[in-house]
Amino acid sequence: MTHLEVKNLSKSYNRQEMPAVSDVSFRLAGSEILALVGPSGCGKTTTLRLIAGLEVPDTGTITLGERVLVGRGEFIPAEKRGVGMVFQEHALFPHLTVYDNVAFGLHRLAKAQKRETVNDFLSLVGLEALAGRYPHALSGGERQRAALARALAPQPEVLLMDEPFSSLDADLRTQVREQVRGILKSIRATAIFVTHDQEEALFMGDRLAVFQGGSIEQIGKPEEVYHESKTRFVAEFMGSSDFVSGINRADGVHTPLGILPPAEGFQPDGKVEVAMRADDVDFTLHGTGNGCIEERFFRGAFYIYRLRLDSGEILHALKAHTVWLPVGQRVRVFISADHPLAVFQKGYPARW
Amino acid sequence: MCAAPTAFLPAGNRRINVPQILMAAGLVGLFAAIPLAYIIVRALGAEAEAWNRLLQVRMWILLRNTLLLAVTVTMGSTVIGVGTAWLTERSDLPGRKIFRWLLAMPLAIPAYIGGIVHLTLMRPRGGLFPKLLEDLTGISMPGFNPLGLWGATFILVLFSYPYIYLLSAAAFRSLNASIEEASRTMGRSTRQTFWQVVLPTLRPGIAAGMLLVALDVLAEYGTVALLRYETFTSAIFVQLAGRFDRSAASILSGVLVVLAMLILWAELRVQGQRRYTQMESQWRPAAAVSLGKWKYPALTLTLGVICLSLLVPVTVLAAWSLQALLSPEASNGVLRSGSRGFGSYTWNSLWTSAMAAFLAVQLTLPAAYLVARYPNRMSRFLSRICQVGYAIPGVVIALSLLFIVNRSFPFLYATPLVVVIAYVLRHMPQAVRGSEAAIAQVSATLEEAGLMLGRTAKQTFFKVTLPLALPGMLAGAALVFLTSLKELPATLLLRPAGFDTLAVRAWIWAVDGSYVQAAPAALLLVLISAVPLTFLLHREKLSA
Repeated sequence: MTHLEVKNLSKSYNRQEMPAVSDVSFRLAGSEILALVGPSGCGKTTTLRLIAGLEVPDTGTITLGERVLVGRGEFIPAEKRGVGMVFQEHALFPHLTVYDNVAFGLHRLAKAQKRETVNDFLSLVGLEALAGRYPHALSGGERQRAALARALAPQPEVLLMDEPFSSLDADLRTQVREQVRGILKSIRATAIFVTHDQEEALFMGDRLAVFQGGSIEQIGKPEEVYHESKTRFVAEFMGSSDFVSGINRADGVHTPLGILPPAEGFQPDGKVEVAMRADDVDFTLHGTGNGCIEERFFRGAFYIYRLRLDSGEILHALKAHTVWLPVGQRVRVFISADHPLAVFQKGYPARW
Repeated sequence: MCAAPTAFLPAGNRRINVPQILMAAGLVGLFAAIPLAYIIVRALGAEAEAWNRLLQVRMWILLRNTLLLAVTVTMGSTVIGVGTAWLTERSDLPGRKIFRWLLAMPLAIPAYIGGIVHLTLMRPRGGLFPKLLEDLTGISMPGFNPLGLWGATFILVLFSYPYIYLLSAAAFRSLNASIEEASRTMGRSTRQTFWQVVLPTLRPGIAAGMLLVALDVLAEYGTVALLRYETFTSAIFVQLAGRFDRSAASILSGVLVVLAMLILWAELRVQGQRRYTQMESQWRPAAAVSLGKWKYPALTLTLGVICLSLLVPVTVLAAWSLQALLSPEASNGVLRSGSRGFGSYTWNSLWTSAMAAFLAVQLTLPAAYLVARYPNRMSRFLSRICQVGYAIPGVVIALSLLFIVNRSFPFLYATPLVVVIAYVLRHMPQAVRGSEAAIAQVSATLEEAGLMLGRTAKQTFFKVTLPLALPGMLAGAALVFLTSLKELPATLLLRPAGFDTLAVRAWIWAVDGSYVQAAPAALLLVLISAVPLTFLLHREKLSA
């Protein structure tokens, strides 16, 4: 069931030639979390602000349930959309207590009902004990949860979150996002979540929309986007891929690492590139082999080895933290993935 | 994040009703610009004969006198202001925490009151100081004559340096230790670092202070009249109050205002550049420099400045006040009740200044909001128009208000409201700057958060923006209140007969030579001024 629909949304700012958002369309089902992910300046935040009503699109329509929010001559202002938002720096009102911050959006409720709602949402995020505190007396994680309670309290039809974890320290971030995802799922919230961090997007989103240059490159489940990247950009952005060139022949894709299953939709005998991540590649020490170890990086639970193939291409491979191998050794590199690898036409621009 | 739009938002998405605010700001700008435009028109429209008469000799003497005084006072204030700021902020001067307050406190003393005190002490004939010397040594010494250019420079430096002191002390404080350390690691000595890195970084702050002092000198009336050094303001005052030659007054005012506008224009440009010396988040104060053998000379210098600009005036005023209260004749005059009594002077001072402060903040709010939230050419222009008051000396405001009120608003003539209008026009710049800074530091995201919680733009402004910006706006109001309390020439020229303020009474009695009688009014004026000043200094220290 479609809950929010964005159709052919475009927006450009006066002084810029490139549109900030160009022809973006997607649908969001009820109780679904969609993560918009992409590098900075890709249009994901602008898309979010267009849905919020904080910006006006040049063209396109946005519908929420039965209501047209914008488009077809309609423009519902931000304060009348029934859309909640968690801001990047939380934007808690510094002159109000946590309680009053959460109550700010409940001005239409009667007093008793208001108190009940505020308390409900404070206990949802586990902040009942800190209701009387001012934002400056809260820790980063508590501020984050207060902002979430404030945005959820008016029970918006959709919750927008603009890089909500970017102001938190790395170790706190993992913990808070687990809590936040738990809270959103427990109340079956419909949410759109913006981040530039691909790992966070994979973690938070039921589905992901990967943005680049103002439009959506690919939209799908985390596993799809990660393993079946539709474009070279997605393969590269969603988890640093290396690219090995090959030739598409009738019996399969010929690469320096052997012949892979045939790929469809490419010219016969055309040049292609195969995307490989460190967990798709393995190697063994081998006197002759097809490459050598160029560098070793310790990553705690595992080692990452940088390998140079005799063909000149660079690959990365993952090994357990117990496997310490000296730099300079000759190795035989092979593909260890048990899923098909993404193949792209060679020589096309990254956007293709 | 993508670049936020800087232009006004299209009609469908007004966060707040921009055209309406623009209209309000425009009307206030018009109000602020009227006296200026009027004076220029009157000056250009004056008879050619009047122009010729003035241009023959007088104009040039006044121009020379005025510019000379502006230069000497600015230079002197800069040396003392920057020097003492460095001592209290960057050196290990003993007692620097107390000195930070004491060095700023002379702002509570109007220069003409300090002038009266120093004049009575040092006059060659009949002055207390030469007399004391004569009694002690038996020889009559000529002593330092406080009249004329050097006397005026001396007095004005003593009461103007705190502006530069405060601005450069703030700049010294905001300086990050790492930029000095970076210079040291690149092989510069402490001394080279000071001249090549620290001072150039502070330049915008210091330059802005210098230009404000120069503007103040152009507008100063009391001190130059007292010390008989003729500048544009005293000449205009004489034309207005004595000879009633309005065309000569208009011409002189026109030239003076053009001069002041040039300085204000430079100041606004410098203000624009000041943004780049903001504190970074990784800020850490620079280490204090050890004075070593220079400790006692530095201490003597600082104490000397405080003595002359604060301790001597306050002590003398206190002594005279005591004398006045003890002598029945004088105390009767001072304590008389009713419209000619002390209470009524105080009340008049308070209500006119407070009303001016309130109105100035109210009126400049639209322009300040626009320039803080939508900084573009239009809003900056409006904010600058609201600041022309800096360039219109009190006498000139008085002159143009006399013309305008007589011609168009006769019902206002000879009411205290005209005095309030003059204060508002003259001191609006301080309000617009205070409010602009206060609103700019309330993040626009907070307003968006208000909208996303279903509140209208208006509700959000009153529930979020205003409460958060209020302390900063109050600081602007305190500054307007302080400067209005001290304002002399506009009050003297515009007040209805019998409407006396503390400043007016202290001045009139002192000019008559009744120092003892003037002292309680002057002392009370200083004490009242100290209240908003203390509030401002407290804020300054807290934000640092």
